[in-house]
Amino acid sequence: MILLRLISWPYARKHMVRWLLTIGGIVLGVALLVGMYTANQSVLEAFNRTVEHIAGKTQLQVSAGDGGFPEEALERAESDPDVRAAAPVIEQVVDSGIKGQGKLLILAVDMTGDRSLRDYDLEGGDQDVIDDPLVFLAQPDSLILTRDFAARNGLGSGSKLALKTMEGDKQFTVRGILRSGGMSSAFGGNLAIMDIYAAEKVFGMGRRFDRIDIGLKEGVSLEQGQASLRKVLGPGYEVDPPSGRGEHFESLMSVYEMTMNVASLFALFIGTFIIYNSFSIAVTQRRSEIGILRALGATRGQIRTLFLGESAVAGLVGSAVGIGFGLLMAQGLTASTNAFMEGVMGVSANADHMLVRPWLLVTAAAVGVITSMIAAFLPARNAARVDPVKALQKGQYQVLSAGENRRRRIAALTAIAIAAACLALGRSHVIFYSGYLLAVIAMLLLTPSLSLYLSRALRGPLKLVRPVEGALAADSLIQAPRRTSATVAALMLSLALVIALGGLARASYTDIKEWMDTTMNPDFFITTSEVISSRTYRFPDIMTDGLRQIPGIAEVQPVRIVRINFGGNPVMLVATDSTSIARRTRGRKVTAGDFDEMYRDVAAQKGIIIADNLAQLQKLKLGQMMEIATPSGVLRQPVAGILKDYSNQLGTFFIDRALYRKLWKDDTVDVFRVYLSPRASRSEVKGRILDRFTHERRLFVLSNTDVRSYVLKVTDQWFAMTYLQLFVAVLVAILGIVNTLTVSITDRRRELGVLRAVGGLRSQIRHTIWMEAVAIGVIGLTLGVAAGAVNLYYQLTVSRESFAGISLDYTFPYGIVAVLIPVILGAAFGSALFPAETAVRSSLVEALEYE
Amino acid sequence: MSSRLTAGLLLMAGALSAQDARQIVAESQRRGRADSQRYEGSLEVVGANHKVSKKSWQSDRLGSYGNSKAIIRFTTPAEVKGVALLVVNHPERSSDQWMWTPAIGRDRRIAQQDRSTRFFGTDFSFEDLEERDVDQFDFKLEGDEAVDGAACWRIESKPKQSKSSQYTSSRVWIRKDNYVPVQYENYVKDKLVRRLVEKDIQNIQGIWTARLLEMTDLGRNSRTILKLENVRYNVPMKDDDFTVQALRRAM
Repeated sequence: MILLRLISWPYARKHMVRWLLTIGGIVLGVALLVGMYTANQSVLEAFNRTVEHIAGKTQLQVSAGDGGFPEEALERAESDPDVRAAAPVIEQVVDSGIKGQGKLLILAVDMTGDRSLRDYDLEGGDQDVIDDPLVFLAQPDSLILTRDFAARNGLGSGSKLALKTMEGDKQFTVRGILRSGGMSSAFGGNLAIMDIYAAEKVFGMGRRFDRIDIGLKEGVSLEQGQASLRKVLGPGYEVDPPSGRGEHFESLMSVYEMTMNVASLFALFIGTFIIYNSFSIAVTQRRSEIGILRALGATRGQIRTLFLGESAVAGLVGSAVGIGFGLLMAQGLTASTNAFMEGVMGVSANADHMLVRPWLLVTAAAVGVITSMIAAFLPARNAARVDPVKALQKGQYQVLSAGENRRRRIAALTAIAIAAACLALGRSHVIFYSGYLLAVIAMLLLTPSLSLYLSRALRGPLKLVRPVEGALAADSLIQAPRRTSATVAALMLSLALVIALGGLARASYTDIKEWMDTTMNPDFFITTSEVISSRTYRFPDIMTDGLRQIPGIAEVQPVRIVRINFGGNPVMLVATDSTSIARRTRGRKVTAGDFDEMYRDVAAQKGIIIADNLAQLQKLKLGQMMEIATPSGVLRQPVAGILKDYSNQLGTFFIDRALYRKLWKDDTVDVFRVYLSPRASRSEVKGRILDRFTHERRLFVLSNTDVRSYVLKVTDQWFAMTYLQLFVAVLVAILGIVNTLTVSITDRRRELGVLRAVGGLRSQIRHTIWMEAVAIGVIGLTLGVAAGAVNLYYQLTVSRESFAGISLDYTFPYGIVAVLIPVILGAAFGSALFPAETAVRSSLVEALEYE
Repeated sequence: MSSRLTAGLLLMAGALSAQDARQIVAESQRRGRADSQRYEGSLEVVGANHKVSKKSWQSDRLGSYGNSKAIIRFTTPAEVKGVALLVVNHPERSSDQWMWTPAIGRDRRIAQQDRSTRFFGTDFSFEDLEERDVDQFDFKLEGDEAVDGAACWRIESKPKQSKSSQYTSSRVWIRKDNYVPVQYENYVKDKLVRRLVEKDIQNIQGIWTARLLEMTDLGRNSRTILKLENVRYNVPMKDDDFTVQALRRAM
């Protein structure tokens, strides 16, 4: 502690800017970790809170994917002797229609029996405050609102509230107010209760429920109840405690969460290099100080502890600042996570406040401190090993010995050989990721040697630009390979990530566009919402014929989309008229099987087409027999074909709609794909569709362009995370360059002073530093592009094997590299401006006296 | 919802010997029997805050205690006009009920999971409306007591162990002259929670019928007044008119 106060603190105070830059990486990493985790947890907790509040005394919940199930299941559940109460439920999230109030969760229940499971704590103390329960049931426009929502919007009993329904915008009447607390807090208080049979009509669900909430008889265990309900209901139904819904939500969120965690880990990883670099240089600068301490009797252990202590303090300060930034970031990220889950996954949580977990803050601080200490470990060890006699010999430390370089190269080549073997032999994730790690280690081990080669190679070109300054800049890099290589390593890793993620995004975009060209080719998509992924409302089947009769329409394809549980994951099931779809999407990319044959099988209800990501994620093969649980029993059919498809990140099944109707007893429609006759006018047909249907139901006629833009918008939303990573990568790289140059200038203060003393112009000093920075940028870019090419290969494999299951072609992103060259060189140059000015404006006398 | 219906719910009496009390209650039930009943009812719920809600309906009932069926069709107010309720009573278990709501054009089975729940905002609970089997209760005649000047037996009843009820015990006052129950009190533990008073008792087609019933919920301090008009017994009715299909058809 005394050493920290007497030795470390004055040094840190003298080099405050560098010290702050050093901890920048930790700040960023910890901020991302705290921000993203807090946002995710806030959204998840909001969802779980809603589930918990509306579950009441529910012990088990019966569901069958998000498509619901026929009403008959209720009687079957009620007939189970273990069941005390069975209450049907429909849950939908709708636009509240009130500015600034966002979404409203509609909980539709059967009020005549639901009180067995849920406590409706109504204003006035009892249910009579549903002004009149009979009127509530008799009138489908009845709503009960929470006190908070009603108060916020000046609503009371008898007030009207406009909501969007399948029959267009309709006025609802408030016929009850829920007291604050308990169930009222669900969905951030934006909760409305409606009669379940009215909701079926309002949302166009037919005679279907979303789920049945179950209360078991006294003495019946959850396991017993689950087993007996499963027996009564059959395999198409899931019977789980309410907490199971949280797990389902979490699994939908997991892919998103993983992407975000990668960004924060990545920032910390790169931050490690910056800290390593700074401490390496600090050790070099403070060699004489260390020598004196050693001469005065300080042990090696004390010197090591001193530097590790400094790194711990740096880590702690970085973590503290990072936690602060992280909490600020979390506010915005919570909203964007909410939007992502709603827009892409079609589920809503309405997180209204941030959930800050103390253990996360402690963990984040620990991660920051440990990362910092790990990064400083080697420099601290080297400091401890400083020979007091050599301590005054300036510059020696920065030089890498030939032996050291050779050992690194041998280790790197060995790592490359093993990594290659892992790729060739490895089928398991452990072998694959071990190989990946070894490849990264090999890149890092080779960085000093390659930096040195490239620095030498750049000497000539730099001299060509400016003979003196170019040579000085190159020599500075050549003489201090340690300093250079740590920055180059950080830059290289950043760029490797940028290129891999950019390549992944570009390949995905290309594939998604190709997929859209072949599948999203109808002229119009008729949907129930502007948000195409929303499945709040549905169309009745009868509308199909109505559409077919409209002049100018050549073909109508009704599509039903539901999520079902398959292999423990929520997988999308798309039910269409397969013959018609086959005829219209002939150009689709087939991964396995014959296009015509697979659609013939599906039309004949003899097979199922699956998306290639489902095949990859769940290891399914062409011809393999699949078992899908349906409300009418288990559907056993072989995989008739595998298609490239981007409908859902966790995979998609395609079956014939006739089969779906038979097994799921559901003839509702989510989307109509409409093809026009060759000479039909789009605007006229659109007008006819709207004239024919808008007075009776809510519908949106989206053009092909609208839908394609929507899909690309969702893709952008998804890749927004990637862009965040890119931003972090570039930011950390810039931090690294600024830090290195600042250190480099401080380190060479005397050298620069001598230059000026012998007649060197300020502009020459400036140019030297600029060229040095740009040279670091060039070296980092060169190695980064090479490492990115390798990383892209690994990322494509990771994406295919363990992430999205989608096989993408390897295409090197030249365009991204073309953008990166000016960005990085510009950033390198920009980061040199301040250090260069510091160098030229410092006192010449002080510079000559330095050290 | 008729006087027969409500009277049948709470007939649990006692005598100096249990058997005598049971006989009184059984006799009361027997005297109220008819093959069918039709009436026009009106209902007024006066809440604790003095807010009054009114409804009227027409009721047809086929059969008597035990296997009876009833259809109630609401006629006013406008919000509930056309709503119909089919009640199928069973001697040994809760009744089955279906409701037709014309505004959404469909029928629904009314869940009967919590029989203590109030019947559509009235002060009657679903359990109060059940027709009970005398064999499911133990009776005790507590003595004689006059109600509105009429001599009555005061009988206490308790549900047998096999019978689940929201009430711990009940008391009924049955007039000695015509075996018409004129007052009921229902207790949870020792606390009086509901009181039903029957008034305006008239002999209609040989059956003594209370045409005004007033149920008070003492916990909530609210009361429901039920009036029966144009009461007729043994009106020809068909079994087919008391089905879920008939509930829909009739509208």
